[in-house]
Amino acid sequence: MSLLDIRAISVRFGGVHALEQVTMNLNPGEILGLIGPNGAGKTTMLRVITGVVKANHGEVQLEGELLNTLPIHVRVRKGLGCAQQLVRPFREMTLAENVALAAGAKHTQYPWQSLFRVERMEALRESRNWLAKVGIEDAADSYPEAVPLGYLKRMEVARALAIRPRMLLLDEPLAGLNQAEATTFADILFELNRQGQAILLIEHNLAEVRRICSRLVVLDNGRKIAEGSPETVLKQSSVQEAYIGQGNLNAEN
Amino acid sequence: MLYLELFIQGLLQGSIYALIAVGLTLVYGLLRILHVAHAGLYTLGGYFGVLVFNSTGSLALGGVVAMLGVGVIGVIIYRLCYEPILNQPPYVPLIASIGLFIAMEELYRILFGSYGVTYTNPPLQKMMPLGGLYLRQGEWVTMLASIVLIGGLAWLSRRTRLGLAWRATVTDPQMAESFGIDPIRVRYLNFFIGSILAGAAGMIVGILNNLVEPTMGSVPSYKALAIIVLGGLGSVRGTLVAALALGVVESFGTIYLGAVLNRDAIAFVFLILVLMVRPQGMFRGV
Amino acid sequence: MGYEISLLTAMLISIIGSLSLNLITGFCGQVSLGHVAFVGIGAYTASLLTKATTPFFAALVAGMLLAGIFGVFVGLASLRVRHDFLAITTMGVNFVFLGVVRQQDWLGGELGVSSIPDPGLGKLGFLALVFGCVVLVVLLSMQIRRSWMGYVFEAISGDEDTARMLGLDVSRYKLIAFALGTSLAGLAGGLYAHHVRFIYPDSFAFVESITILAMVVVGGNGSIWGVMLASALLSLLPQWFQFIDDYKLLLYGGLLFAVMRFSPGGLAGFAQRWFPQSQKSFTLEVDK
Repeated sequence: MSLLDIRAISVRFGGVHALEQVTMNLNPGEILGLIGPNGAGKTTMLRVITGVVKANHGEVQLEGELLNTLPIHVRVRKGLGCAQQLVRPFREMTLAENVALAAGAKHTQYPWQSLFRVERMEALRESRNWLAKVGIEDAADSYPEAVPLGYLKRMEVARALAIRPRMLLLDEPLAGLNQAEATTFADILFELNRQGQAILLIEHNLAEVRRICSRLVVLDNGRKIAEGSPETVLKQSSVQEAYIGQGNLNAEN
Repeated sequence: MLYLELFIQGLLQGSIYALIAVGLTLVYGLLRILHVAHAGLYTLGGYFGVLVFNSTGSLALGGVVAMLGVGVIGVIIYRLCYEPILNQPPYVPLIASIGLFIAMEELYRILFGSYGVTYTNPPLQKMMPLGGLYLRQGEWVTMLASIVLIGGLAWLSRRTRLGLAWRATVTDPQMAESFGIDPIRVRYLNFFIGSILAGAAGMIVGILNNLVEPTMGSVPSYKALAIIVLGGLGSVRGTLVAALALGVVESFGTIYLGAVLNRDAIAFVFLILVLMVRPQGMFRGV
Repeated sequence: MGYEISLLTAMLISIIGSLSLNLITGFCGQVSLGHVAFVGIGAYTASLLTKATTPFFAALVAGMLLAGIFGVFVGLASLRVRHDFLAITTMGVNFVFLGVVRQQDWLGGELGVSSIPDPGLGKLGFLALVFGCVVLVVLLSMQIRRSWMGYVFEAISGDEDTARMLGLDVSRYKLIAFALGTSLAGLAGGLYAHHVRFIYPDSFAFVESITILAMVVVGGNGSIWGVMLASALLSLLPQWFQFIDDYKLLLYGGLLFAVMRFSPGGLAGFAQRWFPQSQKSFTLEVDK
């Protein structure tokens, strides 16, 4: 049974069809790459899954459970860990504290109960482990303004991991990183997946996508135009057209 | 005929609100700051107008000083008070502005006295019936001035390069900058124009009531805020509609709701009701 | 001696008021510009009840409950609107409260409620009661701050969308902040009414909301000790120096402006710059 089932999702903003009857799924243990040129609807799809955007039509199911009517925080508690395109750390907390908040999810589930829970050492310890997993434990006690973008991007992933999600939803985690940083980070994601973490990866960096994803889904102008293994998909002319039409010659790599 | 009179009075009051609120929404649209001290500039316009008239006898000069003088001070306030704290979380400029406004009112009280200043020879008080309506000259001037000033703003915004630069900066500051538009200049202009409108409103109200007193800005301060929120923060058109609507609603409301609710609270009841239905205000902002 | 006791009591009551706003604005980041309306609800409720021969403590509790209920309503409004809209809506709540209270004869109208009964504790007894309440409020604030509730409040204050993405029920937490903060404001109101024995609409004017906010902001958003210190200073200073009382508003206004312009972190922020070890740190707090 697939982990995440997306059926016939359509989203309209005013007159614009951001997504049109898109059906796709995420299987347990895979890294699914969701790719496509700018404006294809990838981020919108992510927002439909998390609940930030309401679909006009269609269903999102998590292991058979319908998510459509659930608020964002409930969906997250059911197993969605999300790292967004624009990093948003809590600026008044250190990186460790940022991640610890997520690690302590069990303490914060029932608001009135959270008043009586004070123990934070465990969550802080765990958060350092997560930061180590993404390779940035040296910055654990730094504040967001003092670390480079690459670190913040990895902190977002660590923070998403800390809630122990059934799947990771990552929106362009490699954007803004140079070649070396991108490769290192992609390796980390690959390793996480190797250890069992299912990942839905939205990404523009097709070189890394080809390397680490087990399967690809391609969107263009709100529609799904291709699906399959990276080798097959990236060879398809329709896919190449979609990217080149945007003037994006890097797709040829 | 009572309804018509109530309606006209409502529009008059609404147009004064509009003059104040438009400046406020201009600032918000550009900088996301709730410029509460704007009402202090309104009061200052009143003072400039009456003091200049009382010493020179010239209404025109009073008008010029009220508008330009307040315009310049508005820019100075931006430069000294807001510019350094633009990067802080939103409550910082908001509270700084509130503090500034309170201090301004107190300064007026200390400098010019608690009881206010009146016109030694009140101008524009004569009745001037026109088209069946019995209004004082001052009230006709109010209508005319509002139309001219706001119309002028609309013309400036749509028909001049300056207006284009302003609109570009509000929509997308970075893109505007890459077109060579200087954001600092645009901000100065923004505050200048908004403050001119406030100064004009202050002087007009000073004439209509024949009194300029230190706290005359208190009520407009919060009402203007309610108005710009109602109109959809940042939308000039929305603000205009909301201002006029509020004037009319208050006019009728005091008659019909007076037993339950104080006139000044009507603005906020109106606001809260609208926000519960449409949390972004009546019109979408910029 | 009587004058000093009275002064101290008034100062402690204003500390309760500002600590209550601190929960909403300082801890949870929800700007409330109309907080004194809840103090007013507590004051009116408690005093009308004691005038109708309800026992003092029951009246106090009733005042807290009613203030808290209205607070939850306002909290619900806060869920639909954000930031600047919220600030103005809460300002509106203050004016609507005043507008209603001014027009209703059974609430005393413009003249307010007078001859509020003496709680019968004597001046010192009453002072002790108020002091006890301050202690409780401080303990509650500290408990919130060191608990996971405080941690969540901080996150909401920083970035509520991201907080939601971490599985936090932001709406529920905000409502709790409002409920707690406003009912404590109601407590301050009930105590205030029985301290001065005479209340009227102007006691709860918008400028008082700004004063309470000034205490929170000057103290430094969230810092319990900073807020207490700022409250003490701002409430006592006008009493000590008569000439300051005439310029009280100028002082408030100028102070608010100056703090925001030059040291937005307030007294607490200022202290942190000069004494870095006093910086709030999770790891330090936990390493007991």
